[in-house]
Amino acid sequence: MDGITGVLQYALDGLSQQQQTEANNLANVDTPDFTAQQVDFESSLQQALDSPDGGQAQISVTNSSAPYSTSGNNVDTGQQLTDAEQTTLQYQTMVDMLNAQFLLVQGASGGSFT
Amino acid sequence: MNLFGSIQISGSGLDAAQTWINTSAGNVANMNDVSSLSEPAYQQETPIFEPITTPTGEGEGVAVTSVDLGSANGIVAYDPSSPLANSQGMVREADVSTGQQMVDLISAQNDYQANVAALQRAQTAYQSALTLGT
Repeated sequence: MDGITGVLQYALDGLSQQQQTEANNLANVDTPDFTAQQVDFESSLQQALDSPDGGQAQISVTNSSAPYSTSGNNVDTGQQLTDAEQTTLQYQTMVDMLNAQFLLVQGASGGSFT
Repeated sequence: MNLFGSIQISGSGLDAAQTWINTSAGNVANMNDVSSLSEPAYQQETPIFEPITTPTGEGEGVAVTSVDLGSANGIVAYDPSSPLANSQGMVREADVSTGQQMVDLISAQNDYQANVAALQRAQTAYQSALTLGT
């Protein structure tokens, strides 16, 4: 899939994975020796969009560099909760934009725009 | 990655926090237990949390793998009025720290609430995904 729909679908995949990672970090907030993970797909997507010949975007999962507590855990609860909220809002925005795109295609192909 | 995966992950977090609350409540309920010197004392219970990961290294939540038991020696105390006391008037009391248990309970409650918050966010996102194309 290419064009706007492809980009939005990719963003949904990335956000979905981001949400799972945040849920996993929060589930392990008191697990000793647990290192929090973070998902980045935006920078790779931006690069792919900027390159003239298309390019391939990918989702990357990295370990968080936040400071560790005495139990060897580095999950920042407040940060994770804020991130989870942001991810959800972004997800909803992507869904709204996909729906808008579908309506445009529907209208352009002779159906209703609403 | 399975469909609605976040919900499962947060669910495992809720289970773990609930287990922690249960063991802590059990410890507080038994903190005044007394036994005779020939018997073991009440052993404080501490759940051990471990992350669940797929073979590919993806995090899939948390699990309570075992429950660590405290020392069975307890605290040997002088209480000659106790029917369990030996000829020297000694009994074994449970070695449970109230302060530690209260702190654990607050941590467990915060864990639980954080997982509920993550669960609600996931639910909102999944619900919006279900409106795609409608």
